[in-house]
Amino acid sequence: MCNCEECEQFLQPYLDRQLTEAEVLEAESHLDECSYCRRAYHFEERLRMYVRRAASEPMSIELKRKLAALRISL
Amino acid sequence: MSEITPDTDARRIAREARDRVRFEEEALDLADQVYRVARHMVNSREEAEDLVQEAYARAFRSWKQFTPGTNLRAWLLRILTNINIDRGRKIQRTPDVQSLEAGDYYLFEKLEDSGGEITDEERVDERLSQDSIVEALSAVPHDFRDVIVLVDIGDFSYAEAAQILDIPVGTVMSRLHRGRRILKRQLAEEAVPDV
Repeated sequence: MCNCEECEQFLQPYLDRQLTEAEVLEAESHLDECSYCRRAYHFEERLRMYVRRAASEPMSIELKRKLAALRISL
Repeated sequence: MSEITPDTDARRIAREARDRVRFEEEALDLADQVYRVARHMVNSREEAEDLVQEAYARAFRSWKQFTPGTNLRAWLLRILTNINIDRGRKIQRTPDVQSLEAGDYYLFEKLEDSGGEITDEERVDERLSQDSIVEALSAVPHDFRDVIVLVDIGDFSYAEAAQILDIPVGTVMSRLHRGRRILKRQLAEEAVPDV
């Protein structure tokens, strides 16, 4: 079982599914015991979704129109 | 020497016109996704709109260079990235980036220290505003931000991001990990005043 510091190192590769099977087991056995790391992992997961949502700015209709006007085939 | 009959010629022209129309329509269908990435590769909406327009103008002119059946979204982004680099975007050096990084728990720790435990039910936007995300993202150095924007916001795979940015997949992954840590450090500075 790893400690909190090692668990922090595993955070990104764990969520990216880049850990080996043994490392996943190691991280999970710590997560089972440690509510602090569990909260940190869950926060990271939700943060990623939020960043995606918060940074997604729709394109203006004006730009859409300008792009369509660039077509050569029309 | 074989002679091209007017009929074959007409057919060829018609087929080419049809292919071109299809290409343009498919490219325009992807414009929202291209813009979403472009918006955070540069610092303003105007710059992003200008960049997307130039990329589409170039794509429409050189449509024959696209191989049908391959990834059009990545092809368009590759054009856009090249234009952005041609425009003289400064390449940032990595050494001073180290000072921008913190551990992966840094932001979480600061938020819990200042506002109490973050429960599973609590929404992230109760602690971090949408503006703070956009601000923090713009403070991440370009090389790192491009990878975050492609993978975490644009949903490109590591391999696609590597192809678009013309860097090895391993570099994509290390920049992604470091970039996310820089982003979180910036967010902590935005959201927790005494950091």
